[in-house]
Amino acid sequence: MELIGIFKYLYEQLVATGIPQVWVDLISLVASAVIIFGVLALIALFLVWWERKLSADFQQRMGPMLTGWHGLIQTVADAIKLIQKEDITPTKADRPVFFWAPIICFVAAFAVYVTVPFGEGLIVSDLNIGILYIVAITTFTVISLLMAGWGSNNKYALLGGMRSAAQVVSYEVPMIVAILSVIVFVGSLSMVDIVESQALIYQWYIFRMPFGPIAFVIFIIAATAETNRTPFDLPEAEQELVAGFNIEYSGMKFAMFFLAEFINMFTVSAIGATLFLGGWQGPFLPSWVWFLVKTFGLVFVFMWFRWTYPRLRVDQLMEFSWKFLLPLAFANLILAGWMKYSGWFNW
Amino acid sequence: MTFEELTTYLTEKFGDKLELLETGKFEPFFLIKKENLVEICEAVKTDDKLLIDFLCNIGAIDTGEKFEIVYNLASIKKNIRFDLKLVMEYEGAEVDSVQEVWPCSNWYEREMWELYGINIKNHDNLTRFLLPDEWDQGHPMLKNWDAPDFKRMPEVE
Amino acid sequence: MTEGLRTEEFQVNMGPHHPSTHGVCRFILTMDGEVIVRAEPVIGYLHRSLEKICENRTYAQCIPVMDRFEYCTSMCCNEVFALAVEKLAGIEVPEYAEYLRVIMMELNRIASHMIWYGTTALDLGAITPFLYSFREREDILDMFEMTCGQRLTYNYIRIGGVSKDIPPEFIPKCKEFLATIDHKIDDYERMLTENPIFMVRNKGVGTLSPEMAIAYGVSGPSLRASGIKYDLRRDDPYSIYNRFKFDIPVCHNGDCYDRYIIRIKEMRESAKIVRQALEQLPNAEVNTGKMVKANFKPAKGEVYSRIENSRGEMGVYIQSTGDTKKPLRVKMRGGSYNQLQVMPELVKGVKIADVVAIMASLDIIMPEVDR
Repeated sequence: MELIGIFKYLYEQLVATGIPQVWVDLISLVASAVIIFGVLALIALFLVWWERKLSADFQQRMGPMLTGWHGLIQTVADAIKLIQKEDITPTKADRPVFFWAPIICFVAAFAVYVTVPFGEGLIVSDLNIGILYIVAITTFTVISLLMAGWGSNNKYALLGGMRSAAQVVSYEVPMIVAILSVIVFVGSLSMVDIVESQALIYQWYIFRMPFGPIAFVIFIIAATAETNRTPFDLPEAEQELVAGFNIEYSGMKFAMFFLAEFINMFTVSAIGATLFLGGWQGPFLPSWVWFLVKTFGLVFVFMWFRWTYPRLRVDQLMEFSWKFLLPLAFANLILAGWMKYSGWFNW
Repeated sequence: MTFEELTTYLTEKFGDKLELLETGKFEPFFLIKKENLVEICEAVKTDDKLLIDFLCNIGAIDTGEKFEIVYNLASIKKNIRFDLKLVMEYEGAEVDSVQEVWPCSNWYEREMWELYGINIKNHDNLTRFLLPDEWDQGHPMLKNWDAPDFKRMPEVE
Repeated sequence: MTEGLRTEEFQVNMGPHHPSTHGVCRFILTMDGEVIVRAEPVIGYLHRSLEKICENRTYAQCIPVMDRFEYCTSMCCNEVFALAVEKLAGIEVPEYAEYLRVIMMELNRIASHMIWYGTTALDLGAITPFLYSFREREDILDMFEMTCGQRLTYNYIRIGGVSKDIPPEFIPKCKEFLATIDHKIDDYERMLTENPIFMVRNKGVGTLSPEMAIAYGVSGPSLRASGIKYDLRRDDPYSIYNRFKFDIPVCHNGDCYDRYIIRIKEMRESAKIVRQALEQLPNAEVNTGKMVKANFKPAKGEVYSRIENSRGEMGVYIQSTGDTKKPLRVKMRGGSYNQLQVMPELVKGVKIADVVAIMASLDIIMPEVDR
């Protein structure tokens, strides 16, 4: 079953009704936005449940078991609980900043998916600067974390916000350089072009020796830091900062941060799958299944990290980024450029 | 050093500054005068045969008539243990701080000051410690102290 | 150039309700960015005035109060009080009861170190080890439960012996536990000991020099991590500890990592002691000792008894006037008290994350501090 066929059919039906082309485009865009939103909300809910079950497995527990089959709708119950909760704004908070921080975080998390190819043709808009757009939008998260930290008027939140700003900015650089080394090879910023250049399994960038695996590892490390997950979860280090930037948030605003975090994790996994693991490419199964399999595989890796490692200290985190990861990423970029230029490894 | 050796050594060294108490059961227990306290503490710490480097505990006691302060001392290097005791009247109870000798005495003395009202001379931080900051009901460890809501255990036969 | 730049210090109130202060301890941290300039511990949130309560109870009634003194190792608290009164009154404890006491105390030490292991990992952000160590702690608590009916405050070691004999299923369960414990501790070590992140977080952090440790009265594993081989079980033997062969692990750097290594090794040594005690346990006579009565009056005297607790030297000073059923004074001394006192010295100039690591590695527990 190819999902794209259904979309095409519905689009043709819409055109056949005879309404002006502007309206057709508008309706199809809104429809795709709603679909993306719905799918991602479902994925986020699933990821929360999956993380609970995985952590329970790692820790020899059962995890949620009572609500639904193996606690499957536990997250839904939690979401309903959070919606019902009182939405508290501290009296001394900077109200507009406090209010907008979770919204920006949430919107930025979803806006990324404009250019993420879920399958062959399953992309809202194949921008020719797709990957650049994604990198730019993900950076909005740090602004929202800073806003949350500042707006809460809480010292722990401020420390958390400052930490996240420092962390995300320093890990953005090696991540972009790692992405660049792939782009050098592809010669295009479009996500679809990137996927199409790795049609066969030995063409996946993770298998392009020797630069591919290095870039992949750098990307994974930097992505873990980008999404504020262990061992780089300093902005919300609960043992040090109680809860970090979201300490003053409750109810639905907290839920927005929480869901955005999981969607961000899915985003970086999707980017990783697209750039290094061949995106939707794969035999037999529909393309979108391959995409989901690869992405969830990477999500599993992030969760695995989280339930295994302790946390780094803030200065060690910075040192690791600037003194090790960044030089390595640049060296790798030069290597990739040389490989491309010499043409020896262009299979 | 055995009990006897230690007792003889200490009484020889300090003469009438120490007085061996009968109440001490297992380690030598000496009564000293409070004006000699810091001097004796410094001496036992620096003495080559004693090297009392470890202050186990300081505890104040309200006997109902007087205050007593007990210093439980130990040496890690020589594996020795003995105790010193001070006795003083309620009126103007005051003792020198030994934190120059053993820094850890700081908190023990602070506790003593707070719970018994014994003043500590040369102490650098006599502030509220275990009790709440706004505490104004006196010194609760005194034998005659009774708070309005303090219930004593019923007597058992 | 830097003269023009000035950063403003600010105060952060860490606690009293903070996830990693192990009870309700509060630190007033004066910070310059992430760096600690000054730290002032504020204690007393758990002050229950146990010493005053003891003064108003008979000797036998004091034992349950001692349970609350340091609830992670209640057995040791019972023992230190019982030991002091036995010394005062000259009570002989039967050999069988002494063995039971040692078995219980060493199991309790393992359980306490497991709490420490779990919370240390938790404080450094690793959540999984916590659940592993609590899985084994559960076995120990089950054994305690089948013996005395309690899981946390045991009231088991009494003046003159122990409250009751172990049930018949205790020994097989204990042997089963001892057979797997080394393997389980290997598991713990595999999770943290060689973990590079754990190592960079702990090595060279919170270094406590031996001189400073002694001056501040730091004792137990934290003192041994600074290179001083001093263990009351060997150096001032109480109960029947001189009958067992065990090593006293010593490290030399005095940093958080060494304190970690020491405690891990100590768990193995404690298991060794329990094994020997189970072997030597006299089967011929089952005599758990004669409990003292409520009107029990020890002779006039005073004693300071001390034992090696999992957090250092635990001592209790008792003064008896000889003519009342109640102690004139009970002064408790816990290892955490001195370890918390040295904290402000250790945390100067470190990052806020290290405060948590140092506090976890010193294994501070607040009821022992506040009493």
